[in-house]
Amino acid sequence: MTHLIEITALTKTFGTGSGSVEALKGIDLYVDEGEIFGVIGLSGAGKSTLIRCLNRLETPTSGRVVVAGRDLTTLNDSELLEARRGMGMIFQSFNLLSLRNVWSNVAFPLEMAGRPAPIIHQRVAELLEMVGLSDKAKNYPAQLSGGQKQRVGIARALANSPSILLCDEATSSLDPQTTASILSLIEDLKERLRLTVVLITHEMKVITEICDRVAVMEDGRIVETGQVIEVFTAPKHPTSKSFVEVVLSNREHFLEKGYRPKGILVRVGYIGAMVVEPLVYTLVKKFDVEANILQAHVDHIKGTPYGTLLLDLAGDTACVALALDYLKSSNVNLEVFDDPDSH
Amino acid sequence: MILTPIKWTMIQTAALQSLYMVSLSTILTSLAGIPLGVLLVITRQRHIFESAKLNFILGLIINATRSIPFPIFIVFVIPFTRFIVGTSIGPTAVIVPLTLAAVVFMARLTETSLLEVPFGVIEAAQAAGATRWQIIIHVLVAEARPGLIMAITITTITLICYSAMAGAVGGGGLGDLAIRYGYQRYQTDIMWVTVILLLLVVQGVQNLGDWLVRRISHR
Repeated sequence: MTHLIEITALTKTFGTGSGSVEALKGIDLYVDEGEIFGVIGLSGAGKSTLIRCLNRLETPTSGRVVVAGRDLTTLNDSELLEARRGMGMIFQSFNLLSLRNVWSNVAFPLEMAGRPAPIIHQRVAELLEMVGLSDKAKNYPAQLSGGQKQRVGIARALANSPSILLCDEATSSLDPQTTASILSLIEDLKERLRLTVVLITHEMKVITEICDRVAVMEDGRIVETGQVIEVFTAPKHPTSKSFVEVVLSNREHFLEKGYRPKGILVRVGYIGAMVVEPLVYTLVKKFDVEANILQAHVDHIKGTPYGTLLLDLAGDTACVALALDYLKSSNVNLEVFDDPDSH
Repeated sequence: MILTPIKWTMIQTAALQSLYMVSLSTILTSLAGIPLGVLLVITRQRHIFESAKLNFILGLIINATRSIPFPIFIVFVIPFTRFIVGTSIGPTAVIVPLTLAAVVFMARLTETSLLEVPFGVIEAAQAAGATRWQIIIHVLVAEARPGLIMAITITTITLICYSAMAGAVGGGGLGDLAIRYGYQRYQTDIMWVTVILLLLVVQGVQNLGDWLVRRISHR
């Protein structure tokens, strides 16, 4: 199966000579139809440049960006406009036209595409209904809350009935509750309109909330990519780990708060249904170690349950070693933080 | 202080000349200055019509023009004025230097107000499939309307001030009358009336501008 979006050896350099900055240093990735694909990275990682290459708001320095079988880098001006109309984009700062009311902001892409007035009228009403802002049609952006502004942004992005939605830090300036409602709106619209969504964010929460697959970016490169559940529960790259730790328990948090481990700190991660108690029970009963649960996190990503436990394993050194062997042989993802010899 | 009918006629004539010079040059200035300001902005680095060369040349011409004091500028462009209107004397002739000097001023004011439009809004329009021309009209200029109205207001007031120097080439107008009769011939009453008239006009123009801006602003 060919992919809807396929990026090959993409690079982007800003400026020339000694002052130049390499924002993208060779990106390869694909996005399949119907996916919600997330790119996570810290600011300056190049994710913003990457998503801008998808509708050529940035012109790539080298490499290929193929969307629906067409290489964007080879399009002329009018072909590019046509391609852009097949993609909607929403932004962190919403970027609404401040002198147009909600209705005319949503109508903007349709007007620019030269659609006849009756069609624009019908379509805008439909779009406002879809994002739940029919009653705000006459309001100006300055009179709206952040969440409402982003809903206008979404309606505008979907005006030309695109098949792809690009989200550039779309929830980064919103509070957690509003973020959740915007994300569920995006997920809902994705299902209803059969969209493919590419989003960039610096928040792991956004990724686990709605994404199917994720790419972790650092310094212009993709350092890890895979199913969200896999990357989330068993991150391989240090950058991925640090993103996961923001959401999950992290031992630094405990140590900073003055917690002195009695034994060895371990993190146990698992995917799918697993009963926690038997595991802890076995550790205590069979290996005679004191298993102190510092933190437990149980949740699900796209319907798949997962959990992580932060345990402090104390007791006789030999017993703890056996307990660790037992954990290693179990079907869990184990991370041992402390070297037992240091105690 | 009662003015004689002759003095009233002089003031009336001068006022009409001022109105003619200022209104025509304001219209011409806006027609040329706003597009020039747009060009200044869109040719900037990483903007929608990037051209370092054009931007540099435009900047150079504008700065050069702005650095010449207006009375000197009037004399400096006399050959050009003669070429355009056939004479270098009279209210119509004055419109040429007035417009030329105000266009570059207006271009800079336009540039400033267009730069107030966040680039993200332009990007959003690009992403929506708008052409460059559509972006200029429907995003840049449309979103900068309050700033542009302010710019036209300030330019109009500047033109009223500049037009007072038009007497140097026989342009007439209120400023000229105030200097020649009010100051040089000690006719204080004429001085007072013209000054009050100018004050009222400037105040009126400013109020009109402010009102228009309030009407269309939604920030």
